[in-house]
Amino acid sequence: MENYNERYARHYALSDFGFEGQQKLLKAEVLVIGAGGLGCPVLQYLVASGMGKIGIVDHDVISLSNLQRQTLYSTDDVGKKKVEVAFQKLQQLNPEIKINIYPLELTSKNAWEIISDYEIIVDCTDNFATRYLINDACTLLKKTLIFGAIYKYEGQVAVFNDNPKIENRINYRHLFPNPPKPEEVQNCNEVGVLGVLPGMIGMMQANEVIKIITGLGEILDGKLLTFNMLNYEIFTVDISNENSVENLIPKNREAFELTDYNFLCGISSAGIQDLSPEDFIEKISDDQTLTVDVREIGELPKADFEHIQIPLSELNDRFSEIKNKDLILFCQSGKRSLKAAEILLEHFGNQKKISHLKGGITALQQIKNGKNS
Amino acid sequence: MREIKIIAFGQIAEITGKELMLEVKDLDSLKQNLIQKFPELSDKKMAFAINRKLVENNITLTENDVVALMPPYSGG
Repeated sequence: MENYNERYARHYALSDFGFEGQQKLLKAEVLVIGAGGLGCPVLQYLVASGMGKIGIVDHDVISLSNLQRQTLYSTDDVGKKKVEVAFQKLQQLNPEIKINIYPLELTSKNAWEIISDYEIIVDCTDNFATRYLINDACTLLKKTLIFGAIYKYEGQVAVFNDNPKIENRINYRHLFPNPPKPEEVQNCNEVGVLGVLPGMIGMMQANEVIKIITGLGEILDGKLLTFNMLNYEIFTVDISNENSVENLIPKNREAFELTDYNFLCGISSAGIQDLSPEDFIEKISDDQTLTVDVREIGELPKADFEHIQIPLSELNDRFSEIKNKDLILFCQSGKRSLKAAEILLEHFGNQKKISHLKGGITALQQIKNGKNS
Repeated sequence: MREIKIIAFGQIAEITGKELMLEVKDLDSLKQNLIQKFPELSDKKMAFAINRKLVENNITLTENDVVALMPPYSGG
């Protein structure tokens, strides 16, 4: 057999898959966005299965708290860029395939170019801003999108834009037309996650990719599957496209690139400045500035820099304690500090200059951990 | 009025419990009823599926219908 490769012998042997199935995989071009809890298993299984080209997008560095679920990384890797370590490990796993890495944060400015280069896109991100951005880009570019997301002990998997007929295509906005506001949902940093859950959901995403490429089985096209890891219950619903969502998605590339998805998701707000952990460290050393922890009493980790604490729940009664003109707010993930900033902006108007730590103390710690290693 | 079975997922189930029964005639009255019973739901985002089909507009409910309340998940 021409092109026989012992590496894929078990695929060749599999009925309905065989040599032909493998040849299809070896031509496929798949982009995995996010190399975290979902991204690690997706990447490991896709690379092992023998794809033509794999792209990996992630701007994060590995932190110690990632290791209970992000199985591509080892303790020695803490502080290194995820895409770089993933690249190394995956090349060792299968040196025969092409792997491109993008060590950057996906934004509406760079997404179009990157996504255009692939046929199938796998959403392994952990936030709504990027999820809506990817959904809109894939819908405009007519790319098949494999969605996966988790919450506590449950996960969701869906396939979008895969229907051959354009009028039958379904995307994430048919399910949830507009992004939720930060206070309407909680994220992983706040609620925790059991390590095997993203493994299970990521594996389902990888399975959908392989089935789509090889034409095997039934695809979750336009369906939302919810999986409960505690009792193995699976609940699948058909998503309807009876209501058009066309007007919610930017019209074309130009409109897409001008869309601020962080703003749409309430992660950034006019009149409030977002601070990166680096900017935060620089600004808090200024003694004109008042740094305020808006978390509730007793929340960990404690901040090891000068600050006062006014829990968000007490903020409305404690405006008088805020005397400085320059204010920097922080919390665990950056959501409550943004909420607090909005309350203060409404109360003080332009009298104060208000900024907050985007990503919260969690992001700050990741930077610090990265520097120590 | 018919008794309708409701099943909830994720964050919504933490408020309503995983399963409950409500006597309602259509989806709109079901939504109103839920918010009356669980005011916390008013600022929560969710999709509604009737008998495993997502529904956007109001629809009459009939005996043995199962309504699922599905919140968006974003973790990864």
